[in-house]
Amino acid sequence: MIGIVGKNYATNNKAITASYLAKSVMGLESQIADIVVRPKYVEEIRKILLYCSEEKIAVSPISGGLSGGFACPTIKPAGVQLDLGRMDRIIEIDEANRIAIVEPGVTNGTLWAYMEKYHPDWAPPIADGAPPAATVMGDAIDRGFSLYTSSVGPQGDNFMCGEVVFPNGDIVRTGSWALPFAKPFYKYGLGPDMWSFLMGSQGTMGVITKAAVKIFPHPEFKTVVAWGMSNPQDMQDVTLELGMKEFGVAHNTVMVQGGNYPLVMTRWPKDKVPHDYEFYKEIGFSKWWMNWETWAQSQKELDNAVDIINNHCKDFAKNRAKDGAAMKQQELHPKQIASRMKKPNKIAIPYSFWEAGFLFITFYTPWNECAHFAEMYNAAMKKYGFPEVMWIASIERCRQAICMPIICFDSTKEEDFEKVQDMNRETTEYALKQGWLNYRPDPYIHAPLTYSQAAMYWKYLRAWKKIVDPNMIMHPGRLGLP
Amino acid sequence: MAKTGKERLEELKPEIFKCIHCKACRFAYSGEPSKKGIGEFKGKQGTVLYEGMVDSCPAGIEYGWEAFWNAGKIWIARSILNGDLEFTEEVRDVIMPCITCGQCSAQCENKIPTVDIIESLRAACVEAGIPMIEKHQLVDRLVKERNNPYGGDKDERMKWAKDAGLEKFINNKDAKIGYYVGCTASYRQVEVAIATAKIFEQLGIDFTLIEEEVCCGSPFFRVGAVETAQELMKKNLENFKNLEMVYFSCAGCYRTFTVDYPKWMAEGEKLPFETKHAFELVSDLITQGKIKFKPNKELKGKVVTYHDPCHTGRHFAIEIEQEMIKNSKNLMLDMRKINQKINEWFEIPRVILKKLEEDVGIVFKEMYRIKLNSMCCGAGGGVRAGYPDFSLRTSSLRCDEANAVGADILTTECPFCWRNLSDANDLYGHELQVMGVLEMISKYNLLEIVK
Repeated sequence: MIGIVGKNYATNNKAITASYLAKSVMGLESQIADIVVRPKYVEEIRKILLYCSEEKIAVSPISGGLSGGFACPTIKPAGVQLDLGRMDRIIEIDEANRIAIVEPGVTNGTLWAYMEKYHPDWAPPIADGAPPAATVMGDAIDRGFSLYTSSVGPQGDNFMCGEVVFPNGDIVRTGSWALPFAKPFYKYGLGPDMWSFLMGSQGTMGVITKAAVKIFPHPEFKTVVAWGMSNPQDMQDVTLELGMKEFGVAHNTVMVQGGNYPLVMTRWPKDKVPHDYEFYKEIGFSKWWMNWETWAQSQKELDNAVDIINNHCKDFAKNRAKDGAAMKQQELHPKQIASRMKKPNKIAIPYSFWEAGFLFITFYTPWNECAHFAEMYNAAMKKYGFPEVMWIASIERCRQAICMPIICFDSTKEEDFEKVQDMNRETTEYALKQGWLNYRPDPYIHAPLTYSQAAMYWKYLRAWKKIVDPNMIMHPGRLGLP
Repeated sequence: MAKTGKERLEELKPEIFKCIHCKACRFAYSGEPSKKGIGEFKGKQGTVLYEGMVDSCPAGIEYGWEAFWNAGKIWIARSILNGDLEFTEEVRDVIMPCITCGQCSAQCENKIPTVDIIESLRAACVEAGIPMIEKHQLVDRLVKERNNPYGGDKDERMKWAKDAGLEKFINNKDAKIGYYVGCTASYRQVEVAIATAKIFEQLGIDFTLIEEEVCCGSPFFRVGAVETAQELMKKNLENFKNLEMVYFSCAGCYRTFTVDYPKWMAEGEKLPFETKHAFELVSDLITQGKIKFKPNKELKGKVVTYHDPCHTGRHFAIEIEQEMIKNSKNLMLDMRKINQKINEWFEIPRVILKKLEEDVGIVFKEMYRIKLNSMCCGAGGGVRAGYPDFSLRTSSLRCDEANAVGADILTTECPFCWRNLSDANDLYGHELQVMGVLEMISKYNLLEIVK
């Protein structure tokens, strides 16, 4: 490895390898790698992968940021951790074609600051809620969500073209980029789309070294509209009705997200905040709520969108709600609005403050099943003694829901880890029976349970992996792939 | 019975396990992505975009590996506690080059006391029998022999006072107010010591300098030589025990007496005197209308910026926050009060600088990273002694920031920061004038008592 990247960028120093651990947020499986390598160039990655493939050494790539905990933590067998943080160039911003080209180590914070300064009329698709050191690429590969995800769809859809190095030594450019002189303007390029093959791959296929990502207008006229309600069913139904106004207000509502009052409570130490709902009621929180972050090109358009949302909610409360009397508009202080619109933000971080550690167990459901998911999961959290913390957001105008229970637990206690995993297994089994999909499957519960019910899909996934990764070195085990 | 590093590390376990490795701690202004700045500036250490959040962990910037950024170190601490990693020289060499500036702690949404953790980790490393790096061994030996880490003659600790005609204040037995000078101002930046003492004299304060004063122990608490530090702590507490108030001109000494001593003292023990930095006194007197400054032609129109020393700035702010959190019954309601208190703390030196602007005619211009988000000067945490090249590069980065706002004079309120900034200024040619705020007041004879 030193021969490939130089002595300053490859190490088996135990302290350094241990420093990449991250048993939190998105997974609890992280193991200490045998060595860490920090390449800078595509050719270095190609050589590393060829060498590791020949020697049958496992490789787990991570982009520079950690996507709220390592997106691709090294798991057993540990092998090489490929830290792509040095590949941090913002290569191009093309306003006319509305594209940014970035390397894997470009963080949300860096790209945001750069565009605020040099391209203030445009916003990059950074993830809402992912910390500033999370990377644009990491979120894309997770096909997660962006700050305007309700309007434009999942994060994976925001990526047009990519460059990937496979362990067989091939460097492939996807979409229109497959042609040597083409701009990255068309995702589906030369025929069957290879980019999608990499979405959700969790580092099991190859190493993406460049990507062209859509940028969208960043208008001056923005606000947040919030409505409170007493139950998840009303939250689900009123949001769906608004999401279905597809040629109107739904495109203005860039981020549509909600949840329940423990989302607020568990951001503080367990012994330093009231647990009783009455306190939260007094300070203006409903038991459940939904926020519509709304962007528009003019004040008139913004006012109109806000009116449509509010009038619709009023009508829903009056005529169709399960508990219409409990539905009310939440008056937000300008500081609250500014805080909710801040990107990238640290909103997802302080759930460790409650005790010491937390885990997001995230599922995709059809939107009109998210209330069912919330009720099921809250019951499970209650049963296992965890606070019932639920966050739900719309993807692509309520075509899907991203449902994220936040498990706040004490990671100093081994028995808490076990409880989390027992609950995880139980709820995953239930979720799969409903046809709900895990967002970032963990290797020991979600992946095996999911693929055990999708054998044909897994068969082809494995066959395709074999083509690009003949010795199966890329993040083995991560998706139940050998 | 004083605590060991391992015991402190165990105490901090619930805090260590709060880290989710989000890495927000690598940035200044990690919560202000759209903060308007001053744009891009090409300085001696490269180009920095002073907009939104900016990479600000000196060790991370210098070494790059995850282990050198704060979150990496917190996970090393966790691995040690879990038994996944043992103390070795490899571990030492990763945890030592950290300036312990506390930028990481200031950014942490889970309020993890990172500086405490890193210092405890170092102490536990030393206790585990891992030798300190050579340069730290040297200063450890020097302080044991001479009561200061510079190797200065212990009998010459008060030479600066004698030379400046301030002898009458040495062991002034009637005084109830002390001035703890510290090693840097006693042996290196004597300008700071003289300026501070002369301001006290001019203000009519009956104070004493204690000839038996020894090093406060700061470098040794920082590098994990806790036994040495605790020995020094005991001597100082004995030497200063009869005083009611002790003033400081060094940020590091002030922090060590006020924050570290109570943490490393036995359960139930308390400091026998109050502590204050001299700038708090001057700032208070300005606010009370008791002093003002004289106009000065030489200074008029000069662009002056201010570097917040980590030890008096961020470390105190974090201490204020941790203490208020500990005492809060409803943190959701109290957080605003905590932030207000922190902001008031950072305004104290700025009261002086704004008054200098008003009375003297300097142009006070803030750098981009200030207060809780201030960038470190690179001197602390044993780094100046142990890793001088890294230390000076970090200091030069800070000088770049002063250059970026067009500063003529870079002020601070810590002789150790002063030393490092001044050395980097000379080495890299930043063409700044580096001085202490109180030094400026004394040097240009600016102080005027309001009758």
